[in-house]
Amino acid sequence: MRFWRVIEPHLGFLLQGFALTIAACLLAIVGAVLLGAVTASMRSSGNTWVRGAANAYGDVFRNVPFLVQLFFFFYGLPELGIYIGAFETGVIAMSIAGGAFVSDVILSGIMTVDTGVIDAAKVSGLSRFKIFTRIVLPIALRVSVRPMGSVLINLVLTSSILSTITVNELTGTAKIVAATTFKPFEVYAVLLVLYASLTTLLSFVISATHHRLNRFMTGG
Amino acid sequence: MIVAENVEKRFGDVAVLKRVNLKVEPGEVVTILGASGSGKSTLIRCINGLEALSGGKITVDGHDVSTKAGLVAARRASATVFQLFNLYPHMTALGNITLAPIEVLKLPKAEAEARGRALLDKVGLGAHADAYPQQLSGGQRQRVGICRALAMQPRYLLLDEVTSALDPEMTGDVLRILAELAADGTTMVFVTHEIEFARHISNRIVFLEQGELIVDLPTAEFFAEDGGLAVPRIRQFLSKMKKD
Repeated sequence: MRFWRVIEPHLGFLLQGFALTIAACLLAIVGAVLLGAVTASMRSSGNTWVRGAANAYGDVFRNVPFLVQLFFFFYGLPELGIYIGAFETGVIAMSIAGGAFVSDVILSGIMTVDTGVIDAAKVSGLSRFKIFTRIVLPIALRVSVRPMGSVLINLVLTSSILSTITVNELTGTAKIVAATTFKPFEVYAVLLVLYASLTTLLSFVISATHHRLNRFMTGG
Repeated sequence: MIVAENVEKRFGDVAVLKRVNLKVEPGEVVTILGASGSGKSTLIRCINGLEALSGGKITVDGHDVSTKAGLVAARRASATVFQLFNLYPHMTALGNITLAPIEVLKLPKAEAEARGRALLDKVGLGAHADAYPQQLSGGQRQRVGICRALAMQPRYLLLDEVTSALDPEMTGDVLRILAELAADGTTMVFVTHEIEFARHISNRIVFLEQGELIVDLPTAEFFAEDGGLAVPRIRQFLSKMKKD
Protein backbone atom coordinates (compact mmCIF):
# COMPACT_ATOMS: atom_id res chain seq x y z
CA MET A 1 0.00 0.00 0.00
CA ARG A 2 1.57 3.21 -1.23
CA PHE A 3 0.04 5.39 1.48
CA TRP A 4 1.38 3.31 4.33
CA ARG A 5 4.85 3.08 2.72
CA VAL A 6 5.03 6.88 2.73
CA ILE A 7 3.79 7.36 6.29
CA GLU A 8 5.21 4.39 8.14
CA PRO A 9 8.86 5.56 8.49
CA HIS A 10 7.66 8.94 9.84
CA LEU A 11 4.80 7.77 12.01
CA GLY A 12 6.79 7.89 15.23
CA PHE A 13 7.87 11.46 14.52
CA LEU A 14 4.33 12.52 13.68
CA LEU A 15 2.99 10.93 16.86
CA GLN A 16 5.63 12.80 18.85
CA GLY A 17 4.23 15.98 17.36
CA PHE A 18 0.71 14.81 18.17
CA ALA A 19 1.73 14.24 21.79
CA LEU A 20 3.09 17.79 21.94
CA THR A 21 -0.17 19.10 20.45
CA ILE A 22 -2.16 17.24 23.10
CA ALA A 23 0.07 18.58 25.87
CA ALA A 24 -0.19 22.17 24.59
CA CYS A 25 -3.96 21.89 24.22
CA LEU A 26 -4.55 20.39 27.66
CA LEU A 27 -2.45 23.05 29.36
CA ALA A 28 -4.03 25.84 27.29
CA ILE A 29 -7.56 24.57 28.00
CA VAL A 30 -6.88 24.60 31.74
CA GLY A 31 -5.29 28.05 31.45
CA ALA A 32 -8.07 29.46 29.24
CA VAL A 33 -10.86 28.14 31.47
CA LEU A 34 -9.25 29.43 34.68
CA LEU A 35 -8.44 32.80 33.13
CA GLY A 36 -11.90 32.95 31.54
CA ALA A 37 -13.63 32.18 34.86
CA VAL A 38 -11.60 34.80 36.74
CA THR A 39 -12.19 37.36 33.98
CA ALA A 40 -15.92 36.60 33.87
CA SER A 41 -16.14 37.11 37.64
CA MET A 42 -14.32 40.43 37.25
CA ARG A 43 -16.63 41.46 34.41
CA SER A 44 -19.63 40.83 36.66
CA SER A 45 -18.07 42.83 39.52
CA GLY A 46 -19.70 45.96 40.90
CA ASN A 47 -16.34 47.76 40.87
CA THR A 48 -15.93 49.93 37.75
CA TRP A 49 -12.14 49.57 37.63
CA VAL A 50 -12.17 45.80 38.02
CA ARG A 51 -14.87 45.52 35.36
CA GLY A 52 -13.03 47.93 33.06
CA ALA A 53 -9.73 46.06 33.30
CA ALA A 54 -11.40 42.73 32.54
CA ASN A 55 -13.35 44.18 29.62
CA ALA A 56 -10.19 45.75 28.20
CA TYR A 57 -8.41 42.38 28.29
CA GLY A 58 -11.34 40.68 26.58
CA ASP A 59 -11.66 43.34 23.90
CA VAL A 60 -7.95 43.41 23.05
CA PHE A 61 -7.44 39.68 22.75
CA ARG A 62 -10.64 38.93 20.86
CA ASN A 63 -9.85 41.60 18.30
CA VAL A 64 -6.27 40.74 17.34
CA PRO A 65 -5.37 37.76 15.12
CA PHE A 66 -3.87 34.90 17.11
CA LEU A 67 -0.80 34.79 14.86
CA VAL A 68 -0.07 38.42 15.71
CA GLN A 69 -0.53 37.76 19.44
CA LEU A 70 1.76 34.76 19.22
CA PHE A 71 4.53 36.70 17.46
CA PHE A 72 4.03 39.54 19.92
CA PHE A 73 4.76 37.20 22.85
CA PHE A 74 7.43 35.18 21.06
CA TYR A 75 9.48 38.18 19.95
CA GLY A 76 8.27 40.63 22.58
CA LEU A 77 8.97 38.76 25.82
CA PRO A 78 12.75 38.46 25.18
CA GLU A 79 12.78 42.24 24.60
CA LEU A 80 11.40 42.56 28.13
CA GLY A 81 14.11 40.24 29.44
CA ILE A 82 11.75 37.27 29.82
CA TYR A 83 13.23 34.15 28.29
CA ILE A 84 10.92 31.14 28.15
CA GLY A 85 10.76 28.33 25.63
CA ALA A 86 8.68 28.40 22.47
CA PHE A 87 6.33 25.72 23.82
CA GLU A 88 5.70 27.67 27.04
CA THR A 89 5.19 30.87 25.07
CA GLY A 90 2.69 29.07 22.85
CA VAL A 91 0.73 27.68 25.81
CA ILE A 92 0.61 31.10 27.47
CA ALA A 93 -0.52 32.82 24.27
CA MET A 94 -3.23 30.19 23.71
CA SER A 95 -4.42 30.50 27.31
CA ILE A 96 -4.64 34.27 27.07
CA ALA A 97 -6.40 34.27 23.70
CA GLY A 98 -8.73 31.42 24.71
CA GLY A 99 -9.46 33.02 28.09
CA ALA A 100 -10.87 36.10 26.40
CA PHE A 101 -13.45 34.00 24.55
CA VAL A 102 -14.15 31.69 27.48
CA SER A 103 -14.88 34.71 29.70
CA ASP A 104 -17.56 35.74 27.19
CA VAL A 105 -19.45 32.47 27.36
CA ILE A 106 -19.11 32.15 31.14
CA LEU A 107 -20.30 35.74 31.59
CA SER A 108 -23.41 35.03 29.51
CA GLY A 109 -24.05 32.06 31.81
CA ILE A 110 -23.55 34.20 34.92
CA MET A 111 -26.20 36.60 33.66
CA THR A 112 -28.75 33.79 33.68
CA VAL A 113 -28.26 33.06 37.41
CA ASP A 114 -31.34 34.01 39.42
CA THR A 115 -30.45 36.95 41.69
CA GLY A 116 -32.70 35.48 44.39
CA VAL A 117 -30.40 32.48 44.64
CA ILE A 118 -27.44 34.82 45.11
CA ASP A 119 -29.43 36.75 47.76
CA ALA A 120 -29.97 33.50 49.65
CA ALA A 121 -26.25 32.75 49.53
CA LYS A 122 -25.37 36.29 50.70
CA VAL A 123 -27.66 36.28 53.73
CA SER A 124 -26.38 32.85 54.76
CA GLY A 125 -23.02 34.53 55.35
CA LEU A 126 -21.04 32.88 52.54
CA SER A 127 -18.02 34.88 51.36
CA ARG A 128 -18.04 36.41 47.89
CA PHE A 129 -15.44 33.89 46.77
CA LYS A 130 -17.53 30.96 48.00
CA ILE A 131 -20.67 32.39 46.44
CA PHE A 132 -18.90 32.59 43.10
CA THR A 133 -17.23 29.18 43.18
CA ARG A 134 -20.01 27.17 44.86
CA ILE A 135 -23.16 28.87 43.54
CA VAL A 136 -22.70 31.24 40.60
CA LEU A 137 -20.11 29.37 38.56
CA PRO A 138 -21.70 25.90 38.69
CA ILE A 139 -25.09 27.32 37.72
CA ALA A 140 -23.56 29.48 34.97
CA LEU A 141 -21.58 26.57 33.55
CA ARG A 142 -24.67 24.50 32.94
CA VAL A 143 -25.61 26.91 30.14
CA SER A 144 -22.06 27.98 29.29
CA VAL A 145 -20.45 24.61 28.86
CA ARG A 146 -21.71 23.94 25.33
CA PRO A 147 -20.69 27.27 23.77
CA MET A 148 -17.46 26.93 25.75
CA GLY A 149 -16.96 23.62 23.95
CA SER A 150 -16.94 25.46 20.62
CA VAL A 151 -14.38 27.91 21.96
CA LEU A 152 -12.14 25.11 23.23
CA ILE A 153 -12.39 23.14 19.97
CA ASN A 154 -11.36 26.27 18.16
CA LEU A 155 -8.46 26.57 20.59
CA VAL A 156 -7.32 23.04 19.70
CA LEU A 157 -7.40 23.91 16.01
CA THR A 158 -5.53 27.13 16.71
CA SER A 159 -2.69 25.12 18.27
CA SER A 160 -1.46 24.37 14.73
CA ILE A 161 -0.28 27.98 14.55
CA LEU A 162 2.34 27.19 17.19
CA SER A 163 4.30 25.60 14.34
CA THR A 164 5.15 29.15 13.23
CA ILE A 165 7.23 29.75 16.35
CA THR A 166 9.37 26.61 16.00
CA VAL A 167 7.17 24.38 18.18
CA ASN A 168 7.21 20.98 16.48
CA GLU A 169 3.72 19.99 17.38
CA LEU A 170 1.60 17.99 14.96
CA THR A 171 1.48 20.60 12.18
CA GLY A 172 5.16 21.43 12.69
CA THR A 173 6.25 17.81 12.31
CA ALA A 174 3.93 17.38 9.33
CA LYS A 175 5.56 20.30 7.54
CA ILE A 176 8.96 18.67 8.05
CA VAL A 177 7.78 15.25 6.90
CA ALA A 178 6.00 16.73 3.89
CA ALA A 179 9.15 18.62 2.92
CA THR A 180 11.38 15.56 3.19
CA THR A 181 9.04 13.08 1.48
CA PHE A 182 7.48 15.42 -1.08
CA LYS A 183 4.18 13.68 -0.26
CA PRO A 184 2.10 16.46 1.36
CA PHE A 185 -1.25 14.83 0.54
CA GLU A 186 -0.53 11.65 2.50
CA VAL A 187 0.96 13.55 5.41
CA TYR A 188 -1.91 16.00 5.73
CA ALA A 189 -4.43 13.18 5.39
CA VAL A 190 -2.96 11.77 8.60
CA LEU A 191 -3.28 15.20 10.26
CA LEU A 192 -6.91 15.40 9.22
CA VAL A 193 -7.64 12.18 11.09
CA LEU A 194 -5.58 13.07 14.15
CA TYR A 195 -7.01 16.59 14.61
CA ALA A 196 -10.55 15.35 14.01
CA SER A 197 -10.16 12.56 16.56
CA LEU A 198 -8.78 15.01 19.13
CA THR A 199 -11.66 17.47 18.71
CA THR A 200 -14.22 14.66 18.63
CA LEU A 201 -12.89 13.38 21.93
CA LEU A 202 -13.15 16.91 23.33
CA SER A 203 -16.76 17.12 22.12
CA PHE A 204 -17.57 13.95 24.02
CA VAL A 205 -16.02 15.36 27.18
CA ILE A 206 -18.04 18.57 26.76
CA SER A 207 -21.28 16.65 26.23
CA ALA A 208 -20.62 14.49 29.28
CA THR A 209 -19.86 17.57 31.38
CA HIS A 210 -23.01 19.29 30.14
CA HIS A 211 -25.01 16.22 31.01
CA ARG A 212 -23.52 16.01 34.47
CA LEU A 213 -24.02 19.69 35.26
CA ASN A 214 -27.64 19.51 34.14
CA ARG A 215 -28.52 16.25 35.90
CA PHE A 216 -30.50 18.17 38.50
CA MET A 217 -32.73 19.59 35.76
CA THR A 218 -34.28 16.22 34.95
CA GLY A 219 -37.46 14.94 36.56
CA GLY A 220 -40.01 16.85 38.59
CA MET B 1 -32.79 42.57 69.58
CA ILE B 2 -33.42 43.98 66.11
CA VAL B 3 -33.70 47.77 66.15
CA ALA B 4 -34.63 49.91 63.16
CA GLU B 5 -34.34 53.65 63.75
CA ASN B 6 -35.69 56.20 61.30
CA VAL B 7 -35.00 53.85 58.41
CA GLU B 8 -35.24 55.46 54.98
CA LYS B 9 -34.99 53.66 51.68
CA ARG B 10 -35.25 55.31 48.30
CA PHE B 11 -35.06 53.71 44.88
CA GLY B 12 -34.15 56.71 42.75
CA ASP B 13 -36.81 59.33 43.51
CA VAL B 14 -39.23 56.83 45.01
CA ALA B 15 -39.26 56.71 48.81
CA VAL B 16 -40.06 53.09 49.71
CA LEU B 17 -39.47 53.37 53.46
CA LYS B 18 -40.02 56.61 55.36
CA ARG B 19 -38.61 57.02 58.87
CA VAL B 20 -39.53 53.51 59.96
CA ASN B 21 -38.95 52.59 63.60
CA LEU B 22 -39.25 49.01 64.78
CA LYS B 23 -37.97 46.91 67.67
CA VAL B 24 -38.06 43.13 67.83
CA GLU B 25 -37.16 41.55 71.17
CA PRO B 26 -35.85 37.97 71.42
CA GLY B 27 -38.76 35.52 71.68
CA GLU B 28 -41.20 37.82 69.91
CA VAL B 29 -43.11 37.09 66.73
CA VAL B 30 -43.74 40.34 64.90
CA THR B 31 -45.89 40.36 61.81
CA ILE B 32 -45.57 43.09 59.20
CA LEU B 33 -48.79 43.71 57.31
CA GLY B 34 -49.46 46.09 54.47
CA ALA B 35 -50.57 46.25 50.86
CA SER B 36 -48.29 45.20 48.03
CA GLY B 37 -45.70 47.90 47.47
CA SER B 38 -46.01 49.24 51.01
CA GLY B 39 -42.35 48.39 51.70
CA LYS B 40 -42.72 45.21 53.77
CA SER B 41 -40.26 43.12 51.82
CA THR B 42 -37.89 46.05 51.47
CA LEU B 43 -37.81 46.38 55.25
CA ILE B 44 -36.80 42.71 55.55
CA ARG B 45 -34.17 43.22 52.83
CA CYS B 46 -32.79 46.17 54.78
CA ILE B 47 -32.55 44.12 57.97
CA ASN B 48 -30.56 41.34 56.27
CA GLY B 49 -28.44 43.81 54.35
CA LEU B 50 -29.62 42.95 50.83
CA GLU B 51 -30.57 46.61 50.41
CA ALA B 52 -28.38 49.49 51.60
CA LEU B 53 -30.20 52.06 53.71
CA SER B 54 -30.71 55.58 52.35
CA GLY B 55 -30.97 56.89 55.92
CA GLY B 56 -31.38 55.82 59.52
CA LYS B 57 -29.86 52.80 61.18
CA ILE B 58 -30.56 49.11 61.71
CA THR B 59 -28.82 47.03 64.34
CA VAL B 60 -29.13 43.31 65.04
CA ASP B 61 -27.96 42.49 68.57
CA GLY B 62 -26.12 45.81 68.46
CA HIS B 63 -24.37 45.09 65.14
CA ASP B 64 -24.87 47.92 62.64
CA VAL B 65 -25.79 46.33 59.30
CA SER B 66 -24.37 49.29 57.36
CA THR B 67 -20.82 48.37 58.43
CA LYS B 68 -18.98 45.45 56.91
CA ALA B 69 -18.18 43.71 60.20
CA GLY B 70 -21.63 44.52 61.56
CA LEU B 71 -23.32 42.98 58.56
CA VAL B 72 -21.33 39.76 58.91
CA ALA B 73 -22.36 39.52 62.57
CA ALA B 74 -25.99 40.47 61.80
CA ARG B 75 -26.24 37.84 59.07
CA ARG B 76 -24.75 35.32 61.45
CA ALA B 77 -27.52 36.10 63.96
CA SER B 78 -30.39 35.97 61.48
CA ALA B 79 -31.64 33.78 58.65
CA THR B 80 -34.08 34.52 55.87
CA VAL B 81 -36.76 32.47 54.14
CA PHE B 82 -37.78 33.85 50.75
CA GLN B 83 -41.06 34.10 48.87
CA LEU B 84 -39.70 32.25 45.84
CA PHE B 85 -37.63 29.80 47.94
CA ASN B 86 -34.35 30.72 46.20
CA LEU B 87 -32.94 27.23 46.65
CA TYR B 88 -29.63 26.41 45.00
CA PRO B 89 -30.84 24.51 41.92
CA HIS B 90 -27.66 22.48 41.48
CA MET B 91 -27.64 21.07 45.00
CA THR B 92 -29.80 18.44 46.66
CA ALA B 93 -32.16 19.37 49.49
CA LEU B 94 -29.51 18.23 51.97
CA GLY B 95 -26.80 20.09 50.02
CA ASN B 96 -28.82 23.29 50.22
CA ILE B 97 -29.15 22.90 53.97
CA THR B 98 -25.56 21.94 54.77
CA LEU B 99 -23.64 24.39 52.54
CA ALA B 100 -23.57 27.35 54.93
CA PRO B 101 -23.16 25.30 58.13
CA ILE B 102 -20.07 23.68 56.58
CA GLU B 103 -18.63 26.79 54.92
CA VAL B 104 -19.62 29.50 57.41
CA LEU B 105 -20.03 27.72 60.76
CA LYS B 106 -17.18 25.31 59.84
CA LEU B 107 -19.13 22.31 61.07
CA PRO B 108 -17.70 18.91 60.09
CA LYS B 109 -19.58 17.57 57.07
CA ALA B 110 -20.96 14.54 58.95
CA GLU B 111 -22.33 16.69 61.74
CA ALA B 112 -23.88 19.21 59.32
CA GLU B 113 -25.53 16.37 57.42
CA ALA B 114 -26.85 14.73 60.58
CA ARG B 115 -28.37 18.07 61.62
CA GLY B 116 -29.74 18.62 58.11
CA ARG B 117 -31.38 15.21 58.03
CA ALA B 118 -32.90 15.81 61.46
CA LEU B 119 -34.39 19.10 60.21
CA LEU B 120 -35.75 17.45 57.07
CA ASP B 121 -37.32 14.72 59.21
CA LYS B 122 -38.94 17.38 61.36
CA VAL B 123 -40.67 18.97 58.34
CA GLY B 124 -41.67 15.60 56.87
CA LEU B 125 -39.08 15.54 54.09
CA GLY B 126 -36.73 12.90 55.48
CA ALA B 127 -37.17 10.79 52.35
CA HIS B 128 -36.29 13.69 50.04
CA ALA B 129 -32.80 14.56 51.31
CA ASP B 130 -31.20 13.63 47.99
CA ALA B 131 -33.82 15.23 45.74
CA TYR B 132 -32.97 18.33 43.70
CA PRO B 133 -35.25 21.38 44.01
CA GLN B 134 -36.62 20.73 40.50
CA GLN B 135 -37.92 17.39 41.73
CA LEU B 136 -39.85 18.89 44.65
CA SER B 137 -43.22 20.63 44.83
CA GLY B 138 -43.45 24.29 45.85
CA GLY B 139 -44.49 23.44 49.38
CA GLN B 140 -41.66 20.94 49.71
CA ARG B 141 -39.18 23.48 48.37
CA GLN B 142 -40.29 26.05 50.90
CA ARG B 143 -39.94 23.55 53.71
CA VAL B 144 -36.37 22.93 52.52
CA GLY B 145 -35.94 26.73 52.52
CA ILE B 146 -37.05 26.83 56.16
CA CYS B 147 -34.65 23.99 57.05
CA ARG B 148 -31.84 25.83 55.30
CA ALA B 149 -32.53 28.88 57.43
CA LEU B 150 -32.86 26.89 60.67
CA ALA B 151 -29.64 24.97 60.01
CA MET B 152 -27.75 28.19 60.76
CA GLN B 153 -29.33 28.20 64.24
CA PRO B 154 -30.34 31.84 63.88
CA ARG B 155 -31.53 33.99 66.75
CA TYR B 156 -33.91 35.72 64.36
CA LEU B 157 -35.88 34.21 61.52
CA LEU B 158 -36.90 36.65 58.77
CA LEU B 159 -39.82 35.39 56.70
CA ASP B 160 -40.57 37.26 53.49
CA GLU B 161 -44.04 36.28 52.21
CA VAL B 162 -43.04 32.65 52.48
CA THR B 163 -46.44 31.26 51.49
CA SER B 164 -47.38 33.73 48.73
CA ALA B 165 -46.23 31.41 45.96
CA LEU B 166 -47.98 28.33 47.35
CA ASP B 167 -51.45 26.88 46.94
CA PRO B 168 -53.68 26.68 50.05
CA GLU B 169 -52.82 23.07 50.86
CA MET B 170 -49.07 23.65 50.66
CA THR B 171 -49.53 26.88 52.59
CA GLY B 172 -51.09 24.87 55.41
CA ASP B 173 -48.04 22.57 55.57
CA VAL B 174 -45.65 25.50 55.79
CA LEU B 175 -47.73 27.44 58.32
CA ARG B 176 -47.95 24.41 60.61
CA ILE B 177 -44.15 24.31 60.75
CA LEU B 178 -43.96 28.04 61.46
CA ALA B 179 -46.54 27.69 64.24
CA GLU B 180 -44.37 25.01 65.85
CA LEU B 181 -41.34 27.25 65.61
CA ALA B 182 -43.25 30.12 67.18
CA ALA B 183 -44.40 27.84 69.99
CA ASP B 184 -40.76 26.85 70.55
CA GLY B 185 -39.94 30.51 71.15
CA THR B 186 -38.20 31.25 67.83
CA THR B 187 -37.98 34.99 67.22
CA MET B 188 -39.61 35.83 63.92
CA VAL B 189 -40.20 38.82 61.73
CA PHE B 190 -42.98 37.72 59.50
CA VAL B 191 -44.10 39.50 56.34
CA THR B 192 -47.33 37.91 55.22
CA HIS B 193 -50.82 38.21 53.82
CA GLU B 194 -52.04 35.31 55.98
CA ILE B 195 -53.89 37.50 58.44
CA GLU B 196 -55.68 34.83 60.43
CA PHE B 197 -52.45 32.94 60.86
CA ALA B 198 -50.60 36.11 61.87
CA ARG B 199 -53.30 36.70 64.46
CA HIS B 200 -52.64 33.29 65.98
CA ILE B 201 -48.87 33.33 66.20
CA SER B 202 -47.88 37.01 66.54
CA ASN B 203 -47.14 38.96 69.68
CA ARG B 204 -47.27 42.18 67.75
CA ILE B 205 -48.49 43.42 64.42
CA VAL B 206 -47.15 46.44 62.59
CA PHE B 207 -48.80 47.99 59.58
CA LEU B 208 -46.94 49.65 56.74
CA GLU B 209 -48.72 52.13 54.49
CA GLN B 210 -46.78 53.54 51.55
CA GLY B 211 -43.49 53.17 53.35
CA GLU B 212 -44.67 54.56 56.68
CA LEU B 213 -45.12 52.40 59.72
CA ILE B 214 -48.49 53.73 60.85
CA VAL B 215 -49.43 51.22 63.55
CA ASP B 216 -47.42 49.04 65.96
CA LEU B 217 -49.67 47.20 68.42
CA PRO B 218 -49.90 43.98 70.41
CA THR B 219 -51.93 41.50 68.34
CA ALA B 220 -55.11 41.61 70.45
CA GLU B 221 -55.17 45.42 70.33
CA PHE B 222 -54.49 45.45 66.60
CA PHE B 223 -57.70 43.51 65.98
CA ALA B 224 -59.73 45.42 68.62
CA GLU B 225 -62.46 47.83 67.56
CA ASP B 226 -60.89 50.63 69.57
CA GLY B 227 -57.34 49.62 68.53
CA GLY B 228 -56.11 48.88 65.00
CA LEU B 229 -59.60 48.63 63.58
CA ALA B 230 -60.21 52.24 64.60
CA VAL B 231 -57.72 53.22 61.89
CA PRO B 232 -59.79 53.48 58.69
CA ARG B 233 -56.95 52.31 56.42
CA ILE B 234 -56.44 49.13 58.47
CA ARG B 235 -60.17 48.38 58.65
CA GLN B 236 -60.32 48.74 54.87
CA PHE B 237 -57.23 46.54 54.37
CA LEU B 238 -58.50 43.77 56.64
CA SER B 239 -61.97 43.67 55.12
CA LYS B 240 -60.48 43.44 51.63
CA MET B 241 -58.19 40.61 52.73
CA LYS B 242 -61.10 38.66 54.20
CA LYS B 243 -62.95 38.80 50.88
CA ASP B 244 -60.00 37.24 49.02
